[in-house]
Amino acid sequence: MKTKLLLGAAATLLAAGSAFAQSAGSIVVYAGAAQIKPQVESGDLTAPSLAGTKVDVKKASSFVGGVTYYWTDNISIDLPIAAPFKHDVVGAGAIEGTGKLGTVKSLPMTLLAQYRFGDANSAFRPFVGAGPTYGYFFKPRATATLSGITGGTTSNPTTLSMKSRLGATLELGAAYNVTKDWSASLSVTKTFIKTTGSLSTGQTIETTLDPVSVKFGIGYRF
Amino acid sequence: MKPLLTRIAAASAALLGGLIVAGCGGGGATADTTPQVNITSVKVFGDSIQDSGTFGYKFTVQSSDNLIFAERIAANYGLTLCNFYAFSGGTFVLNTAKTGCTNYAIGGGRITYTGAGAGPTNPLNVGVQLATYAATGSYTATDLVIIDGGGNDAADLVGAYLTIPKDSAAAYSGLLGTLLTPTQIGTALAGGATTTAQIAGVYMTALADKFYTAIKTNVLDKGATHVVVMNIPDITFTPRFQMVLDSVALASGGGTAGATARAQAQATFQAWISAYNTELAAKFAGDERVVLIDFYKAFQDQVATPAQFGLTNVTTPACPATGAGSDKLPTYTFPTCTPTALNAAPPTGVTGTDWWKSYAFADGFHPTPYGHQLTQQLIAKSLATKGWL
Repeated sequence: MKTKLLLGAAATLLAAGSAFAQSAGSIVVYAGAAQIKPQVESGDLTAPSLAGTKVDVKKASSFVGGVTYYWTDNISIDLPIAAPFKHDVVGAGAIEGTGKLGTVKSLPMTLLAQYRFGDANSAFRPFVGAGPTYGYFFKPRATATLSGITGGTTSNPTTLSMKSRLGATLELGAAYNVTKDWSASLSVTKTFIKTTGSLSTGQTIETTLDPVSVKFGIGYRF
Repeated sequence: MKPLLTRIAAASAALLGGLIVAGCGGGGATADTTPQVNITSVKVFGDSIQDSGTFGYKFTVQSSDNLIFAERIAANYGLTLCNFYAFSGGTFVLNTAKTGCTNYAIGGGRITYTGAGAGPTNPLNVGVQLATYAATGSYTATDLVIIDGGGNDAADLVGAYLTIPKDSAAAYSGLLGTLLTPTQIGTALAGGATTTAQIAGVYMTALADKFYTAIKTNVLDKGATHVVVMNIPDITFTPRFQMVLDSVALASGGGTAGATARAQAQATFQAWISAYNTELAAKFAGDERVVLIDFYKAFQDQVATPAQFGLTNVTTPACPATGAGSDKLPTYTFPTCTPTALNAAPPTGVTGTDWWKSYAFADGFHPTPYGHQLTQQLIAKSLATKGWL
């Protein structure tokens, strides 16, 4: 008897949750967390430098939110808004092992067009997305190590910067509608983006970042 | 469903809240200049390349902002250096113009000094410099020690070897005799040209052992935990030794025969230096307190690929020759080799000032300030890898 009641309640909840959860005109605001893991292909730092001086950019996590607008029952536009990600930039190639050369904050600004499988009532809706990303890099902070290996000193330290660039993002994800208004989503995105790093001592380095990001969020439909 | 405008307003409010949390904003490039290890004192021992001014000048282009590599490393920790010794009345005395100086290096310093005034207390022996500090105190974890030596010893050895035809190996035997037995030397010299050359490699190995023992006794056993030891650079690529090798070629009649003799002589001298460097590396292997800098290889790289290092000239000294020594090689006068003098006298075909800033050599044997910067960067890379910078 008890089991029957529980089952009934669960069925009612599910039924309620799937009633036009995400249909044309829905605006879903979500919040969660994301991790960006760059898949770095570093060029060589220009001269003067040790031949084969390369860099690696480490993964970073941050809070992420965003808004999804349902254009139709199946097509949505997603605008993720993240808190800045803080990445470590470390030595590689000829300077492998020197450790952290600096940190740089990134703020990926992406606009995704998504196609959601299933219909508005489905509890589980996989989706694919694609769109442009503007990788905004800011607040670079160099370490004493960078100064040391580039001839800088404490009174005249070497600084670094990373050029903000436009790239493209592909997305693969799924949303689960817990209730009519609440949903949870998980997505993996791959962004194709390059940047140019510069040192205050004049050298530059071309770096392909191509990060893979994993994003989890809880959304509420307004 | 509520009206669209209401829903947009509510969604916007939620997003705005998120943006405030994100707290995004622009920012310029900054630098954290705090090294990973707190170093409060840099102590330096060695020869001319590390001398902060024992003779009143540095062995490079003179300028208050033209720092030598040991001073540049000190600057990475926010520190400055000054010469512990001063040269007065033909001897080395305590530098009284400044106190608290920790750079003991002296131009002309050797692991085994055999010139005028040679003796067990002459600080031209780097070991005496090491013992002088050790007698006054020990080291702490906030001391960084930078030691070089052997370059002048190797140069002495080459000089003595090349005068064998003139002095019946007197100078060569004498120098070898400071570390090897008469039997060893006699056997080698009697064995012909090959063994005569090879015995110098044995000498250089013994020289490394001697230096290691001095460093162990006076630095490592005195509590030092951050020690930088330079090996001997490939001095055969200095302008001075390039001229020496040219004279070897000439003495063999020039042409192909001369070139062969030149290459053989260079390979011989390199083998001696490598014997020292290999032994030194073996001695310090596995000692976490010591970082051995491969100056030998780095210097070869700079000469082989100058553009990669921002060098435009790795063969001609930037300072003008001001005379000739008894060995007929040009001599230079560092006190008058200033940026002003160099800027005013660019070489033929060069216009503008600062031309010398991309030269590797100040004189026939010593680097320019930029050459010093390259060596500082080399050391800094090793320090960073050790987690010390």
